Amino acid sequence: MKQENNKDKITRKEAISKMGKYAALTAVGTFVILNPLKAQVSSLPADPGGNPFD
Amino acid sequence: MNNSLAPTYEKSIGGLWILWYSISNSYSVIDANFKFLIDSYLDVTSKAEFRALILDEDKNANYSEIENTISSYLSNCNIPTTHAEVDLTSFDSSHRNLSRYYSINGKVIQVNYDSELVLKTVHPSIAHCSISTYKSVDTTFDIYLKNDSLFLFKDESLITSAPKLEYHKIQGKFIMHILCTIHDKPESDWIGTFHGSTITDGNSSILIVGASGKGKSTLCALLTANGFNLLADDVSPMLSKNKNIYFNPGAISIKKGAFKILEPIINSFKDLPPINFNKSKGTLKYLPCAIPEKLHYACHAVILVNYRDKSDTIIEQVSVKKMLETLIPDSWLSPNPYHAKQFIDWLGRIKIYELTYSDIKEVANEISILFKSLNN
Repeated sequence: MKQENNKDKITRKEAISKMGKYAALTAVGTFVILNPLKAQVSSLPADPGGNPFD
Repeated sequence: MNNSLAPTYEKSIGGLWILWYSISNSYSVIDANFKFLIDSYLDVTSKAEFRALILDEDKNANYSEIENTISSYLSNCNIPTTHAEVDLTSFDSSHRNLSRYYSINGKVIQVNYDSELVLKTVHPSIAHCSISTYKSVDTTFDIYLKNDSLFLFKDESLITSAPKLEYHKIQGKFIMHILCTIHDKPESDWIGTFHGSTITDGNSSILIVGASGKGKSTLCALLTANGFNLLADDVSPMLSKNKNIYFNPGAISIKKGAFKILEPIINSFKDLPPINFNKSKGTLKYLPCAIPEKLHYACHAVILVNYRDKSDTIIEQVSVKKMLETLIPDSWLSPNPYHAKQFIDWLGRIKIYELTYSDIKEVANEISILFKSLNN
């Protein structure tokens, strides 16, 4: 369940002030989802097709 | 509505919102508009109420598009992380064909390899720490190839295994456990290992990130020749206890394309042996660096680096979104909620820049000015 925390919640007024006077508040807006690696790895090879063990 | 889909943590940074979802350990960067819509969507008790709220805001709003986007966004942020199957492979000492010993931060580490090829997966980056005499060994690693898989053991307990073509997973885990050994910290004490290189001026540190080929390692090598110390190359670990970035003993890995840039600036560079491990990755050289005065420093800034031939030196502040899009997909970040909160809080405190450069003297001067401003 989401914890209620009004301090972190954006108000309509704040959103409007951040989006600018003419921005449509009910347009979808932008987002990005970023997933970190599940385990530590070193830099990936530039071309993963190489096989150093052959 | 379905409040179980709500983010675990959220923080406003530079006009954007960073959200973290514990179930998926995913981070999301959204604008104020999207934040308003998510908050509203999670607050209402029904889709009808959400529809009324949206149409009340804007009677021409495309309600169904908004509802579909929010619903699909929240689903994508709540895909549970999967756990790898437990590998019960037991230790096999018959693969101990080659042994090398390393002394790092007062710890003696023995690594046993089954062949020269397997040795080449991790040895070149720590070859400069090799020793031939020692009193006692603190930690023993074994790395060997069996049935087309590479296995990594620490004190005869399996750490991980991976198909041989995914040897970067063995390298990554090996580095992680070298860090745990030399700094006396368990894996669970780290907030993450950032894919980037870290330099220090002796007071604090700056993390340098950038996509492959953007010149992270080259820049660090050049900066070490201009009065700075390397704290970590490629893998920069941050500890939970003090949120400092810690020393990584690996040498700087330099690709062939940068040899000509470094040869006139770093005296010993020509004499370093070329390493040809993976032909498709090309020839590499490993440049060992002096150990910094302290083994950990606070990090007050992240620089997105971009080497561009004949470019002027340009350093400008950029959004947290631009930096995280480069940093997160190539970094390991602990799924522990306490660590995630520490990471987000750290993001809120640091300065974020993009640096485009070609001239090393100019860039060293810019970095020096930046360190001074960060340390004040």
